[in-house]
Amino acid sequence: MMKRLLIILMLLLPIVAMAQSSLYKSYASRQDLTVAQVSGFKLDERERVDVVIVVADNDAAWQQLAKELNIRGEEGTVSWLGDLQKPAQRVKWTKAPVLRVVASPARRTIAFYHLNTEAQYDALLDYQLNNMKQEK
Amino acid sequence: MTENKFDVLWQRAEAEGYSKRLAKEYPIWRQKQRRTLSVVAALLIVATLAVSLYTMQARQPQDYEKVYCNRVGTTDAQWAALAAEMLME
Repeated sequence: MMKRLLIILMLLLPIVAMAQSSLYKSYASRQDLTVAQVSGFKLDERERVDVVIVVADNDAAWQQLAKELNIRGEEGTVSWLGDLQKPAQRVKWTKAPVLRVVASPARRTIAFYHLNTEAQYDALLDYQLNNMKQEK
Repeated sequence: MTENKFDVLWQRAEAEGYSKRLAKEYPIWRQKQRRTLSVVAALLIVATLAVSLYTMQARQPQDYEKVYCNRVGTTDAQWAALAAEMLME
């Protein structure tokens, strides 16, 4: 009886404790990086995505990060679809889960948007287009 | 025998493998013990559900559900704003 109740309890716990992604964990332990994971970032009424943001605390940290992700120094803001396990690897959209990576050298910041479905991919594009229209 | 004494006896019986015999010999105490454990477990489940429902309700109107960060100093809303700004870069 008690064992069954404990199993139910253990199954319920993940609902409360939202997990940190492996990407977040891989950067969070580094001393010269400030890392945040925004879970359930709202794109529209239906779609939400998880975003990992990495901010380099100094130029040396940024240079290292840029090197790891194959970002050339002279480039402005760059964006690409990255492999889920190896974000530096540029991939094409094949409806498989990917990362939309946006890197801003001026901010020394990189944002990774987890896209697991086509709906999320479309919603992210719509989000960008709609906000660009509003800015104009 | 007090409830505490029975608990001690029960733990020893479980460790030494004669808990079934003990349960047979002291059925009322065993029932009492089970009832207490069930109440504790039920309370834990209710508390978990309450927290989970509260969390789900609280996060609905926001532009984000939860923010984790390895440093203090920036608010959750500021991180969510940065996530939005990066898409406009």
